[in-house]
Amino acid sequence: MAEEAELPPAPDVAGTSLDGTKIFTVSADENDRLCRSVGVTPAADGSAHPIWYYVATQVAMGKTVAGVCETCEFDVEDGPMMGSSGVRFMAPIMVGQPYRVTGEILSLVRKKSRKLGVMDVLTYRLRLHPAEGGDAILETDNVWVLPRKELA
Amino acid sequence: MSDAAGSYAIGDAIAPFTIESVSADAMKDWAVFLADPNPIHLDVEVVKAKGLGDRVINQGPINVAYMMNMLMAAFPGCTIEKMDSRFLDNVYGGDKAVASGRITAVDGDRVECEFTLDIEGRGTVNAGTATIRLNNP
Repeated sequence: MAEEAELPPAPDVAGTSLDGTKIFTVSADENDRLCRSVGVTPAADGSAHPIWYYVATQVAMGKTVAGVCETCEFDVEDGPMMGSSGVRFMAPIMVGQPYRVTGEILSLVRKKSRKLGVMDVLTYRLRLHPAEGGDAILETDNVWVLPRKELA
Repeated sequence: MSDAAGSYAIGDAIAPFTIESVSADAMKDWAVFLADPNPIHLDVEVVKAKGLGDRVINQGPINVAYMMNMLMAAFPGCTIEKMDSRFLDNVYGGDKAVASGRITAVDGDRVECEFTLDIEGRGTVNAGTATIRLNNP
């Protein structure tokens, strides 16, 4: 606790918008390739593999992965690591349906761990909406660990 | 309790989903899907240079997909309503990955589960929980 108090604060990025402008659509061909890449066949009911939640929100959010890191004053070349990913589905992702993304950074917390040294823990939330408007069909919270080698 | 939920009980094991050998070619596809050409997923020499091992590293969401596959196979026609997963270690090209789990709660047409993704010879690399809505016939 005392050691953490001595660290310089993490950049104040909570609330940064991750709203996207891109329209994201899962094509039947892409869904087929993704499903086969993870060892299954596509669903017959027109729903896309649920892991598209992660792909769609990452690709269509308002910043690239490198851009999110830059916002956190972190060089993507230093190796951000996935800590956790959570998702709540209100409806399935459908093949051929256009979607857009809204979201924001929730927090960036500086910590010290025995294994990784000083690190910033980034939590951000993204939502996938039908492109034509309306409530989100899913909401995902992702946590990344940004190792701060320069503070170790 | 619905008929569908009546088929399940707390403590029941979920049938494993196995990937016999994690595919480096799939990682190339996922670099395109994710629009993220991070070379640790594509170039073993970069992995070595960074001191991260001697094989390419699977993109994290692929590991989540393996666990989703296990759930969808175990509960045909189900809807994954909620899923949380923690990334504990890397999965490498050529690894044998096994997703497995058990039921922790049954409530009406919903089942809660906990699960892991394990790598032969190395142990658990992902762990998580999910809430599943069953497909009532």
